[in-house]
Amino acid sequence: MTEYQLRIQRYDPEQDDTPRLQRYTVSGDHTTSVLDALLSLQQQQDPTLALRWSCRMAICGSCGVMVNGIPKLGCKTFLRDYNGVIDIAPLAHFAVEKDLIVDMTPFLAHLSAIQPYLINDKDDKAPHKQTPAQLAKYQQFSNCINCGLCYAACPQFGLNPEFLGPAAITLAQRYNLDSRDNGKASRMSQLNGNNGAWGCTFVGSCSEVCPKQLDPAAAVNQAKVESAKDFIINLFKI
Amino acid sequence: MQTLHTDIVVVGGGGAGLRAAIAAAEADAGLHISLLSKVYPMRSHTVAAEGGAAAVTLAADSAAAHFSDTVTGSDWLAEQDVVEFFVKHAYQELVQLEHWGCPWSRKQDGSIQVRRFGGMKTERTWFAADKTGFHILHTLFQTSLKYPAIQRLDEYLVLDLLREDNRVCGVVALVLNSGDLVLIKAKSVILATGGAGRVFHYNTNGGIVTGDGMALAFRHGVALRDMEFVQYHPTGLPGSGILITEACRGEGAVLVNKHGYRYLQDYGLGPETPLGHPQNKQMELGPRDKLSQAFWHEQQAGRTDEYNGHAVVYLDLRHLSRAHLQQRLPFICELAQAYVNVDPASALIPIRPAVHYTMGGIMTDINCQTTLQGLYAVGECASVGLHGANRLGSNSLSELLVFGRVAGEQAALHARTCQGSNNDTWSAAQYQRQGQQLSRCFGSNKDDSVARLRQAMTLAMEQGCGIYRDTDGLTQCQQQLQALQARYQNLKVTDTSKVFNNELVQYLELGFSLDVAQAICAAALARTESRGAHQRRDSGMTARDDKSFLQHSLAYYQAGAEPILSWQDVSITSLPPAERRYGSALETALNTAEQAADAGAKHD
Amino acid sequence: MSTPDNARKPYHSRMTRDWWLQQRYYRLYMLREATVLPLLFFLGCLLYGLYSLQHSEMQWLSFAQFMQQGWVIALNALALLASLYHAKTFFALFPRVMPLAPPLLMVAGQWLASLAVIITLLWLAGVS
Repeated sequence: MTEYQLRIQRYDPEQDDTPRLQRYTVSGDHTTSVLDALLSLQQQQDPTLALRWSCRMAICGSCGVMVNGIPKLGCKTFLRDYNGVIDIAPLAHFAVEKDLIVDMTPFLAHLSAIQPYLINDKDDKAPHKQTPAQLAKYQQFSNCINCGLCYAACPQFGLNPEFLGPAAITLAQRYNLDSRDNGKASRMSQLNGNNGAWGCTFVGSCSEVCPKQLDPAAAVNQAKVESAKDFIINLFKI
Repeated sequence: MQTLHTDIVVVGGGGAGLRAAIAAAEADAGLHISLLSKVYPMRSHTVAAEGGAAAVTLAADSAAAHFSDTVTGSDWLAEQDVVEFFVKHAYQELVQLEHWGCPWSRKQDGSIQVRRFGGMKTERTWFAADKTGFHILHTLFQTSLKYPAIQRLDEYLVLDLLREDNRVCGVVALVLNSGDLVLIKAKSVILATGGAGRVFHYNTNGGIVTGDGMALAFRHGVALRDMEFVQYHPTGLPGSGILITEACRGEGAVLVNKHGYRYLQDYGLGPETPLGHPQNKQMELGPRDKLSQAFWHEQQAGRTDEYNGHAVVYLDLRHLSRAHLQQRLPFICELAQAYVNVDPASALIPIRPAVHYTMGGIMTDINCQTTLQGLYAVGECASVGLHGANRLGSNSLSELLVFGRVAGEQAALHARTCQGSNNDTWSAAQYQRQGQQLSRCFGSNKDDSVARLRQAMTLAMEQGCGIYRDTDGLTQCQQQLQALQARYQNLKVTDTSKVFNNELVQYLELGFSLDVAQAICAAALARTESRGAHQRRDSGMTARDDKSFLQHSLAYYQAGAEPILSWQDVSITSLPPAERRYGSALETALNTAEQAADAGAKHD
Repeated sequence: MSTPDNARKPYHSRMTRDWWLQQRYYRLYMLREATVLPLLFFLGCLLYGLYSLQHSEMQWLSFAQFMQQGWVIALNALALLASLYHAKTFFALFPRVMPLAPPLLMVAGQWLASLAVIITLLWLAGVS
């Protein structure tokens, strides 16, 4: 067992006006994740520490936090990889509700805005045909766990909360690229604007932090290409 | 007092809850549906299901075969009319999900790919790589956004059902982000809150799987059925219990003990199948109860290894190519690397059994209707009667689709036809009572805490209600649980804040878990036979006893006392009880049956 | 369900002006964006040169003298490096935006194409 120093950003809306930092010491071994450490703190030292978590296997997307300023899933980040004091804070660019819990409402609103479901007229009882190659076109983008790390990494979302952001645009691309979908035209109105794909300046940090290696930056910039095509096609339509 | 009026409240935003909400919205677009969940829907534990969803798909397969596998797997404790309904409707539900966009894995020609699964005679498990539950959940969640009738109440924890005589007319919930109580009045309530795996110490479940819905119904006099049947998944990671899917074995992974020996052949599952050629219902593709029990025997015999203080055996995937593993089991590769630092293509994954699934739950009929009017239950929290004494892997994802739809449609029908409650004074009184109860739980503890009590409960359950059980262990567990209930009555929540009070939520969840744990223990003590996942070691109880126990156990809540047990007949339509056979015993039995059939045919 | 008197009080933090200094990744991004600054200087030089060429011989000589100063050469060298760096980042990003072929192949293709264009231009300009 090794002793680790954690410096956690605390914020209690009923007591504090601004967040404060609190230091803790936890012991852990080579398997201890940041989430394990936070839970052991909560159980043994400070039951008032608030955080979200559930699956502890990097699939439910609940436990995103900033670790030394970088967005990480708490359950997939290990103390063994850090030296010195480890800073833990709530996800950046979201409003803090309490301690490590942020308000995810804007994130969910952006997801809903891009019509994230299949749009088609299929009405029969048989499954669609979709070859492995067609599946491969969008499969990667369908693996988003909605953890919000990419929003905490994206300075454009930080500067403009109206920006749809990496996960939502990736999800739009996921459906646009699906051979079973005919809804691209109705999704483009969301993607075309400054709050859509063009709000991205390809900082690329979303792809750096994505715990599922989705490459949302690629998706967003592919959406720009689609948006440009859409623009040109519409020019000729008039 | 904050009051919301709605037609249907769905409690739980996992697969079953979402499917039910969508079904209700499609049944009647004029209904208001409130989808309430203590976490955002996509955090629900459906997300962690890996392997797949079963439905008869191949031409060579048949509903009768799926029926027979399920009933046999259940050790004849499944409701056979329910199983018949299920196998008939599973395929169309998986197709429905395909129409909603689920990225099912495909064959070269673009048709649906199916894989082998434990206890299934034929390949019939649909999958989306090894993240099937994840894709099902996200497809359902995203599809649910299409329906304006579905109003989401994210991060609401239900504290109690509103009940008027024998009818349910809403819920009282705690709004987690504000600490406010809210009264939600509805004509129908669907409980879809998932299982209770977290009452055990080693489990594959997320932290939210605390049996809330089971306890809510239980406390209002609804029976919890077949609670003694708790499924140990044979392959969880040591320590964390993180799930390593059965699909690994479907793809050809083998289990070896510390000597590298494929020990399953010693437990009626052999003969050894050649490496890379898995056979349905043999060796590693035997049912989960048998595999977990085999581990226990290996541990007793000293043939398990040790990993960080945990007894383990190994899952060997090394004979499968790296490319195949990346294509079929990418998530497993990621999990093994992150949590036990193993590359499955070149090293063995240490695994051990961990509690995975509660076969039992809130008793419902085939329409997901409970004994309280207006109250429905579906998914892992419910016992519709599909799994009996042991669930077959990949039946539960299909279950939540098939019966989620039933629950939604039935709840919609009820909401359309019933009169809502107008008794406002009475519901206000229930609301007040909850508020007072809540305010009483704050204070300081001398030397107890929610965390400590919870740990004592999970260890007691692991000890007393594990893979093998006996009278002494169960009795001891029962006494421990009683003592813990007493401690719980004096336990206080030290954090008095309102916004996202984690300690308060955990305290309330622990209350639910303790009630469910008592039901599990009481039912296990009462069933003095061995069947499926419930194995007794006491003499005279080690075999199945159809004469006395071809019956469901029903546990009824008694405030401050042990649950009262009663028994219910099993519905048997076409498959009379017989011996459960796997491995070569199954082959022999099938051959004999075929010969008999041939002889019979010649005779005719 | 937030009512005016409830206990919620979400804390909104503002991004500070130096946000881009706080992470290596942001600094690299800003470096990429900043490659435009030396290029601006280079373009200024180019325009100045064109103007001088058509104005008078005297003017051209003074331009040539200006261009020979150490700091001007240094800035132009910097502009070359910056445009090469920008090209490198651009070429690396391109296969992600238009995944037409394996990424490595696409990156190599872009460099080869750039080289071909430079050689063609030099050939047209009569450099041999």
